[in-house]
Amino acid sequence: MNALHALPEWAAILVALCLLAGALITLAGTIGLTRFPTFYQRIHAPTLGTSFGAAFILVASMIYFSVSEARPVLHELLILIFVTITTPITLMLLARAALYRDRAEGHDVAADAVEAERGETTGH
Amino acid sequence: MAFPARPPGQRLPLKLPEVTAILQGSATIVWLPVGQTSTVCGTMSGVALLPFIILLPFIGALAIWLLPARARSSASLLAGAVAVALTASCLWLYGSVADGTVLRNELTWLPQFGLNLVARMDGLSWLFATMIAGIGGLIVLYAHYYMSPKDSMPRFLAFLLAFKGAMLGIVLSGNLIQIVAFWELTSVFSFLLIGYWHHTSAARDGARMALVITGAGGFALFGGMLLLGHIVGSYDLDVVLAAGDKVRSDPLYTPTLLLILLAAFTKSAQFPFQFWLPRAMAAPTPVSAYLHSATMVKAGVFLLTVFWPVLAGTSTWFWIVTYVGLATLLLGAYSAIFQQDMKGLLAYSTVSHLGLITTLLGMNSQLALVAAVFHIVNHATFKASLFMAAGIIDHEAGTRDIRKLSGLYRYMPATATLAIVASAAMAGVPLLNGFLSKEMFFGETALRNPIPFVDVSLPAVAIVASLFAVTYSLRFVHGVFFGPPPTELDRVPHEPPALMRRPIEILVLICLLVGIIPGLTIGPFLATAVKSVLGPDMPYYSLSVWHGFNWALAMSLVALAGGVILFLLLQKYLARGIEAPPFIGHIVGPRIFERLLILLSVRWAKAAERLLGTRRLQPQLVLLVAVATLAAAIPTLGGIGLLPLPPTTFDPGLALVWVVGMTCAVGAAVQAKYHRLVALMLLGGAGLATSITFVWYSAPDLALTQLLVEVVTTILILLGLRWLPQRLETSEIDPFRRFSLHRLRDLALATIAGGGIALLSYAVMTRDAPDGIARFLLENAYTEGGGRNVVNVILVDFRAFDTFGEITVLGIVALATYALLRRFRPAADSIPRPEQQRVQSAFESQRDDHKEGTILSEFLYVPSVLMRWLFPVIVTFAAFLLLRGHDLPGGGFIAGITLAIGFILQYLAGGTRWTEERLRILPVYWIGTGLLLALVTGAASWLFGYPFLTTSFQYVDVPVLGRVPVASALLFDIGVFILVVGATVLMLIAIAHQSLRSAKRDAQPPGKTAPMIEREKA
Repeated sequence: MNALHALPEWAAILVALCLLAGALITLAGTIGLTRFPTFYQRIHAPTLGTSFGAAFILVASMIYFSVSEARPVLHELLILIFVTITTPITLMLLARAALYRDRAEGHDVAADAVEAERGETTGH
Repeated sequence: MAFPARPPGQRLPLKLPEVTAILQGSATIVWLPVGQTSTVCGTMSGVALLPFIILLPFIGALAIWLLPARARSSASLLAGAVAVALTASCLWLYGSVADGTVLRNELTWLPQFGLNLVARMDGLSWLFATMIAGIGGLIVLYAHYYMSPKDSMPRFLAFLLAFKGAMLGIVLSGNLIQIVAFWELTSVFSFLLIGYWHHTSAARDGARMALVITGAGGFALFGGMLLLGHIVGSYDLDVVLAAGDKVRSDPLYTPTLLLILLAAFTKSAQFPFQFWLPRAMAAPTPVSAYLHSATMVKAGVFLLTVFWPVLAGTSTWFWIVTYVGLATLLLGAYSAIFQQDMKGLLAYSTVSHLGLITTLLGMNSQLALVAAVFHIVNHATFKASLFMAAGIIDHEAGTRDIRKLSGLYRYMPATATLAIVASAAMAGVPLLNGFLSKEMFFGETALRNPIPFVDVSLPAVAIVASLFAVTYSLRFVHGVFFGPPPTELDRVPHEPPALMRRPIEILVLICLLVGIIPGLTIGPFLATAVKSVLGPDMPYYSLSVWHGFNWALAMSLVALAGGVILFLLLQKYLARGIEAPPFIGHIVGPRIFERLLILLSVRWAKAAERLLGTRRLQPQLVLLVAVATLAAAIPTLGGIGLLPLPPTTFDPGLALVWVVGMTCAVGAAVQAKYHRLVALMLLGGAGLATSITFVWYSAPDLALTQLLVEVVTTILILLGLRWLPQRLETSEIDPFRRFSLHRLRDLALATIAGGGIALLSYAVMTRDAPDGIARFLLENAYTEGGGRNVVNVILVDFRAFDTFGEITVLGIVALATYALLRRFRPAADSIPRPEQQRVQSAFESQRDDHKEGTILSEFLYVPSVLMRWLFPVIVTFAAFLLLRGHDLPGGGFIAGITLAIGFILQYLAGGTRWTEERLRILPVYWIGTGLLLALVTGAASWLFGYPFLTTSFQYVDVPVLGRVPVASALLFDIGVFILVVGATVLMLIAIAHQSLRSAKRDAQPPGKTAPMIEREKA
């Protein structure tokens, strides 16, 4: 007993693919969150889930409801817009806090990064 | 002496059932015929006038209160007009009550509880009402000249009129509870009047003392009246008055009597409560003249007189009332002799005269009652005029101290003459009214009594006290008006304006007329008043001046002569000018009262607080949880029945959500000690799991509410966490103390409480739900409430009254939070700013191109812009939730929290100052508006003849949207919405402003900071 059975085959495949893609991208982001070594790297990983992961899942939802209700159901777009707008807020707040703490504790991460980059280009 | 006298006869010839039958009649105006003259009826308009007489002073007071403070003359004119109208109405009504008819105007109010608003007038209340209205008018005229231009005349007269209304309310009430209400009102307004000059501590103390004493008496009266109503089975005065025998034979008679006597004694300043009256002399003199002659203190003796047919006639009544009266009579008269303040002398004399009246009422004799009523009137006339004379002297000479005053007769002969005549009436000199009633008093005390103690003590105390009265009257007259010209005054005294003297002239004229031709002047009125108490078979009494030579006359002569002799003997002692009376001077009533008050309200309160209270959070929480657990345990200890394991299918998805939620909850508990922020985040996770569960089980409303409440709570705790001191894992905690008894106890308690809740929930959820009201609500939500969202229909329609109560509580809680936090200055004021701010400032001061605060303003620049953009979206979302609430998930509460979150985001994004410069939120107004809208919506259904909060709904065609359901519940819901916004924002802002407060001080340059803090600390 599966809701997808009610859909035409092409739509069902499309919805399933989108859902899977969204889920995999989100999973990748989550794995990245645990695996990356530094905070600044970790902070980027989950955004996969809130951007592309969410987008695929929402597209799946749009297709599913549009087909099953036989009318365009597009208000998932609003969710997409708001997720896109609000994600950076969280991200920046977190990054700012981390940056402040690092500086306060004496390691200037930004300066270190610049140093490191310079070292690479000069062939160290 | 008529003790033990026969109980006063059945006052009304009607039998109780008949009276009740009449009272239960549906007509609002009921005529209650009394005596043989039952066929005589007055005019209908006379009855209609009664509520008018009670209400007019209050209306007048309101009108005067609205006048500007400078409108002296118009305030006086208005008050005068009210007084004239009242006096005229009373006089006109005499024709209706003269024959013994009782006028009743009944307004049905709560008939099922036996409570109807009854305005009632009989002979006695006519006498009192006329006295209150008439002397009240004279007081207004006098006060117009007495009060200084600096005093606000409208405020004074408004209080005076309101007080007059309350007094008229007492005497004209026909319902026991109504009497109590007006009785309390007189306490309140007398408090305001006595404390009129509230800049002086004497006025404040005197007012407070009067309020505490008479207020306590009012409480006793309430108890007494409830008991009386319980015994009789009705609160209607006429029914109660007809049930005297029933009351006296009831086992509850003694407590009832004691409570009512307590009320009367406190109000009429009887021993041992007499001390508030002299202290109340801090009031402006017109107030003293009014309160202590005709009104306030007479309320007590009025009560005793009215309930005389019901309560009197027993030995309990006789012993208590007579001897309390005698003690007061003697003590008051004795103390009055030694007063140095004119008003103090008059105050103690008032106490003493009230004692005389009380004694008469206690004697259980009908003739004594006649004398008591007669003396009430006489005392009112001469005492009012004496107070006013004292006020004139104070006004013109600048002092009331008898030691400084002397020989004023040559400066103000007219006033002096009036005061001398009134004093003579007070002393009981023949041909004045005081003589007549005092002689009746002597006549009653001189009667032989079988009990030797009574036989001796009554006449002896009567003679001694009257002798004292002659002495203090002489001292008053001699000390003030005769002797050498005064030397210690800062001005030359002169006569007051003629109109200021007019009230005294009128009252003294009454004293003379009553004293010389009593039968023609007071006779008929007195007879009417007494008849309404005693019934038609009144005892024979004679009002003539000369009765031949008898015991009473002899006693009068002894008192007069003795008083003169005592005055001459005391000359030397009085000349020394000692403040307190000899022998009893060291027992100061007020001081004992203050001590008692401090003991009750400070010492015992503090001891109780020390014993029961704590400032530490942990013991409070332990107590709270322990008591709650115990309360839940008691009914469940008997066993909660089976705990079956139902074979439900188990959704792995939801189980996973729950595992996450539970992990979060446990994690929060683990981290709470050192990492509060982490704990807070984990708490959010647990909340989210709950929210998802609600969605899972198709409760989107609850899920939405849960989510929003989580958000607001998190912000609230974050704002509060700022003020908790940092706790470092490394120090402080001794590892060996980790498992102390303390913690074991907490652990055990937490386990029991949590396990108990889990057990209870499990037991409830595995049981079949009883067939309650849920089915009705589900089935009728649409047909009756017009909404498809059952939760919302329940909130705003089926149980709207509950919701109304809840939002009221919410508003109160918000205001209380605000009030608590408004003055709250956390310890952070004395410790440095948050570390981050200091680091940033230090960094900025190192770099020249950064001004102070730049980092702060740029720190969250992008997020704050985004948050500002989102504000209109959130507002729209809130409106959306509100409007669709009746049919789909949403509603006023959810929408309110949403909008509040929108506001909070702006505070977070821009800072408190930035936001408040641009967005003027007045949460208190929001709260008020919301509550009012909900109330008005509810009340509007009255207009259509439906009960409070009935809702209606119908479909309306809106141009673009089509057919839209509109329910009046939506308006109510909007009220809820506005209130929730206001309450939430108010609480959050109150906390948010804390950071602003300490930031203000930090904004000072470093050099100036130190002295600021010094000053703050000092």
